Amino acid sequence: MRAYLNTIGNPWRVFDELMSEFPYELLNTAWRTRAGRYPRVNVWESDEGLAVEAEVAGVEPDKLDVAVDANVLTIKGEREQEDGGTSEFQRSFNLPFELESDKIKAAVKNGMLTVTIPRKAAEKRRIAIEKL
Amino acid sequence: MSLIKKSENVDAQKVSRVEVTPVSRVTENGEAFVMTVELPGVGDKDLELVLENHTLSLTAENALQSFKDHSLVLNEVAEVRYRAAFDLPDRVDAAGIKAAHRNGLLILTLPKREEFKPKRISISKG
Repeated sequence: MRAYLNTIGNPWRVFDELMSEFPYELLNTAWRTRAGRYPRVNVWESDEGLAVEAEVAGVEPDKLDVAVDANVLTIKGEREQEDGGTSEFQRSFNLPFELESDKIKAAVKNGMLTVTIPRKAAEKRRIAIEKL
Repeated sequence: MSLIKKSENVDAQKVSRVEVTPVSRVTENGEAFVMTVELPGVGDKDLELVLENHTLSLTAENALQSFKDHSLVLNEVAEVRYRAAFDLPDRVDAAGIKAAHRNGLLILTLPKREEFKPKRISISKG
């Protein structure tokens, strides 16, 4: 009865009670694990091209895969887990320009992957205008 | 097992970096506890481990690249200070702790003291 009265007094009480029991630690862990599967990046852009720096801690360099298909850059990797299993992650970026796909460079150091992508020089062509 | 204790002190000297508790995981086998700490972008020189009174503290700083004449268009990673302190249980042989740093991971092997290791008891035929 008392609980009922309190509920009337504060309609949010039930909600508050539910939330106070919510296992925030669990949410934190889940979020972190997810963040680990979806690497965080910094992307830099200039007239010359793009540079991407991605967090890939715990991934062996030979388990990293950087690929370009049309204007989409994809970073893939496979991480060994403590229990002996593996987990894969992947992230793709739509690039805002055409790129020199054979001049893309990728390097990894201390669990940071750096990819540099040169922009394809725009083909300049004058178009002759016919007089009609 | 909850070894993780959030950092309490803020270093007054360097305030520009935000302090972050690194992602870490602990597994256990018969011989040792194995702790994996994710420290992407941290070089060997920017990592410090101190053991004091059964508390293992870790301080590390990551280094990010900056690209000349480029502008940052997507910024998800910041330069931070990783900080964590772990209260070691009595079962850990503090003198035998080993640390390896590779691929952005710090792997700590915390061996168990001899008396806490599992022992097989032979059964004699009666």
